[in-house]
Amino acid sequence: MTIQSTRAGARDTRARTGSPGPRARRPLRQHPALIALAFLAPALVALIVLRLAPAAVALWDSLFRTSLLGGTQFVGAGNYLDLATNPDFQNAVGVTLLFTILINPLQVATAFLLAVLYTRRAAGSKLWRSLVILPIAVPPAVSAVIWSVIYRPDGLANAFLDLFGIPAQPFLTSPQQSLASIMVLLSWIGVGYWMMFLIAGINDIPGSYYEAASLDGASGWRQLWTITFPLVRRPLAFVLVADTVSNLLVFAPVQILTKGGPEGSTNLLMYDIFTRAYTLGDLNTAQAEVVILVLITIAIVAVQFRLLKSED
Amino acid sequence: MKRSHLLLAAAAAGALVLSGCSSASESASTSGTVNLLGPEDPATFAPVIEAFEADHPDITIEYTQVPFDQYSNTLQQRLGAEDDSIDVYAVDQPNLSQLAAQGFLEDLSDLEDEARAATSAAQFDINVYDGRMWALSIWNSTQMLFFNRDALAAAGVEAPSVAPAERWTWEQIVDAGRATQDAGMEYGLLFEQVEAYYQLQPLAESLGGGSGITGDEMLTVDVTDDGWQEAMDWYADTFESGLSPRGVGGFQTSPVFMDGDVTFFVGGPWDVGRFASDVDFDWGVAPMPYFEGGEVATPTGSWSWGINTASKNADAARKFLEFAALDAAGNLATTEATTIIPANSEAAAEYLPGLEALGGEHTVGVADLVTYEVENTAVARPVSVGYVQFESAMNRAFADIRNGSPVASRLDQATTQIEDAWSKLR
Amino acid sequence: MAMQLAGTRRTPRRWVMRAFTAFAAAVVGLAFLIPMWWSFVNSLRPGDETFSYLNPLSWQTFFTLTPTFENYAALFDTDLARAIGNSLFISLVTVIVGLAICATAAFGLAAFRFRGRGLMFSVIILSFLIPFDAIAIPLADMFRDWNLQNTFFGLILPGLGNGMAIFLLRTFFLAIPEELVEAARLDGLGWWGVFRRIYLPLSVPALIGAGLMLFLFQWQAYVWPLLMGTDRDHIVGPVALSNLQGQFAVDYGVLFAASMILILIPLAIILGFQRYFIQSVSTTGIK
Repeated sequence: MTIQSTRAGARDTRARTGSPGPRARRPLRQHPALIALAFLAPALVALIVLRLAPAAVALWDSLFRTSLLGGTQFVGAGNYLDLATNPDFQNAVGVTLLFTILINPLQVATAFLLAVLYTRRAAGSKLWRSLVILPIAVPPAVSAVIWSVIYRPDGLANAFLDLFGIPAQPFLTSPQQSLASIMVLLSWIGVGYWMMFLIAGINDIPGSYYEAASLDGASGWRQLWTITFPLVRRPLAFVLVADTVSNLLVFAPVQILTKGGPEGSTNLLMYDIFTRAYTLGDLNTAQAEVVILVLITIAIVAVQFRLLKSED
Repeated sequence: MKRSHLLLAAAAAGALVLSGCSSASESASTSGTVNLLGPEDPATFAPVIEAFEADHPDITIEYTQVPFDQYSNTLQQRLGAEDDSIDVYAVDQPNLSQLAAQGFLEDLSDLEDEARAATSAAQFDINVYDGRMWALSIWNSTQMLFFNRDALAAAGVEAPSVAPAERWTWEQIVDAGRATQDAGMEYGLLFEQVEAYYQLQPLAESLGGGSGITGDEMLTVDVTDDGWQEAMDWYADTFESGLSPRGVGGFQTSPVFMDGDVTFFVGGPWDVGRFASDVDFDWGVAPMPYFEGGEVATPTGSWSWGINTASKNADAARKFLEFAALDAAGNLATTEATTIIPANSEAAAEYLPGLEALGGEHTVGVADLVTYEVENTAVARPVSVGYVQFESAMNRAFADIRNGSPVASRLDQATTQIEDAWSKLR
Repeated sequence: MAMQLAGTRRTPRRWVMRAFTAFAAAVVGLAFLIPMWWSFVNSLRPGDETFSYLNPLSWQTFFTLTPTFENYAALFDTDLARAIGNSLFISLVTVIVGLAICATAAFGLAAFRFRGRGLMFSVIILSFLIPFDAIAIPLADMFRDWNLQNTFFGLILPGLGNGMAIFLLRTFFLAIPEELVEAARLDGLGWWGVFRRIYLPLSVPALIGAGLMLFLFQWQAYVWPLLMGTDRDHIVGPVALSNLQGQFAVDYGVLFAASMILILIPLAIILGFQRYFIQSVSTTGIK
């Protein structure tokens, strides 16, 4: 049996079962745990040393307070209690949650629709979708500059609105519009990137499925919901989780464009952490904030995993 | 807080061995190499380094640039880790007291006499914290009022004079700016650093509001007095009324002036060179305004250089520092490739006529104006270990006030934020 | 989804759909291009004209008849070339080593059932929930203790383990049917062979995606290189780009020119790998 022939055969098997992945995997022979561990070991070592260990240091540091003028003292939960009563921090948590709830469904839905669009055969499709992916490669410092020009009162966005007779908008200078403006910018950067993974998922769906559905007279729209959507569920789940996490950790555009303002309306937690650690030099409180941010992220991601699982 | 690191090092040792990579190439600062760290383009310091190396063939200067936007925090991190790959580093003057308090700066008090003789009184004081001197001033700065002469002429308004004695008031500026707007100008007034304490401090100082930091320890916030309130009300109104544009920030302000869209522009000496080469209308320079009946106050301060306490080559570092700051020729060389005022008085006297010549007819009188401001009206930013936190909170407040936040409550909020940040310092 | 069926009946309605799809694909692509196009045009203009044609819109906003390459020429005097070379080296090593580490780990998670698999997966998920920039400070302390400042090794290392890339690869590995593995095992293929000859070839798009993820992590690294101390020998692209922004003024023409050059390499990668994104359709679309 050659790989080539197994591949085609395998796809057919999957076609028959009609499920994107075999959930009911039987335990494999030998000592799977040891072999698996051997495959996992390099990554685990790297992640433990380069991510979890410094995170543990951060957790430990969050229990101390270092005076600028010398001296470190153990304060236990002191930094956390300070944060809990700090109105700026409360606001940052609120802004972050609102941002998360809004941006992730929007980005994932857009990425999905774009993936569908760009997997259809059409002239120049590959070139156009490269253009959609490309913004991820623009250096953050430069994309912030470009968008600051777009959002200026006399900038490109208002010039476009003017073409349609829409009055000038304040964008980043208004507490009501600033967060939405940041979300549009981030979507410009990220949507194409996430689309790419969904394209890979859609491309894995055997064309025969659509052909069968077509013969049954299912419309394109129906095929989208009955074939494409369920069969890219797993890549979709990846994109949702990865996008959520990425959005929770974003801070560069906020740092360059709004510095959290106006009136704290774009003060995302990660930006708050970054300023506190790097600008204000209050590393201990910043680490406490990191711990809280990671806990929030874990909670959100856990909910997402649960939702995705229960749909099985 | 070094503890847990040993454990981690042990855990990580495995990864290092696996990779087999060596971490060599760490140039132990052996005899004769001095590492200089700063936020400027390497070309800026090439002349001073070249001049010094010609005098001291046994010493080599290695310059490393760190981007300006990340300079202070990169410095904090690396100095905090006792990084000995930094010998001499540029100190943003308002950060000096914090760096000195943290023990990151060598005490240079034995050079006090020479330093006092070399520079202005304000520039000498700026390097003193806790009774000792920690750095030497390299550059100085001031702010001026640039104006679009064509726009004023079109509106029938007489242009301001460059003479400090005929300094305009902000009230005059607002009136003249509005007149030019009526005559077709887009905007009347714009500050180059619209949301920065450096440029806005003089507004409050002019109205008697003080720097915003008081107290024996310089750790008491005071930005809610009448002076600050009035200054910020005025500032908010320049945006509310459309005299100044909202939403244009960062480095995009001077292009507004250069494109001929604003009549008055508050900027620095570095703008002289740019405007001279890129502006195609008639422009001029006048002293920075003040409020009617108030004090005259202008921004000042720039960069000093200090020596890292962790330096392994402090003697050579000191030689270089003395050359760049105290030697007039050396100090002049630091400004050869950029437009900034040398802090050394002798160097400044030699430098300023050249700056004036750069702008041709537009900048006649600038040399005298700068000398006058540096000696008479300059008000330095407050010397406080908490300046960094103070400035960060104030800049955010300026941004909000510009966008229409109520002044009184926003200044109250800034006070709370600063007090909160400072409570962690002690 | 009719578009995936080559050679089926062509009704007028289908033709209209296809034209509409092509139109939508072009419009969306161009909309995403506009911001970059604007900065590209301004990289061909002197810096003092950057903001001259913003509003109202005119043809000059997006085109120039007198392009100049001065901004690009100015870059020769900077460290940008060296920085790009360094970034490229760091990124490529990271992609090669990182893909090996991440793909094997994803295979370990996807192909085997064992006690503790859930725990392993949780560790990997947790690792990318931790904001790297926030733990960079303690990590930099560790690296300094190991004397890694100003070394390529110190710059490459943090990019190697990437939990999100492992998660991505695992997602796509799980879609590979077990029957295929069992058949191969019966044919006497070892686990390494299964990994190399079945999993990897069947997951090319996902591998490209993960590779791009690893690449961009390093290509855009900014905070970490600054903490590790970038002397001129170890300067990286984003730092060199930021170095172009002076503290008093920025020449946006030069800045945009530099960013165009920094975009060039990812652009080449994205365009170059597009054909692999279609491959999986052509191989699995067999009837």
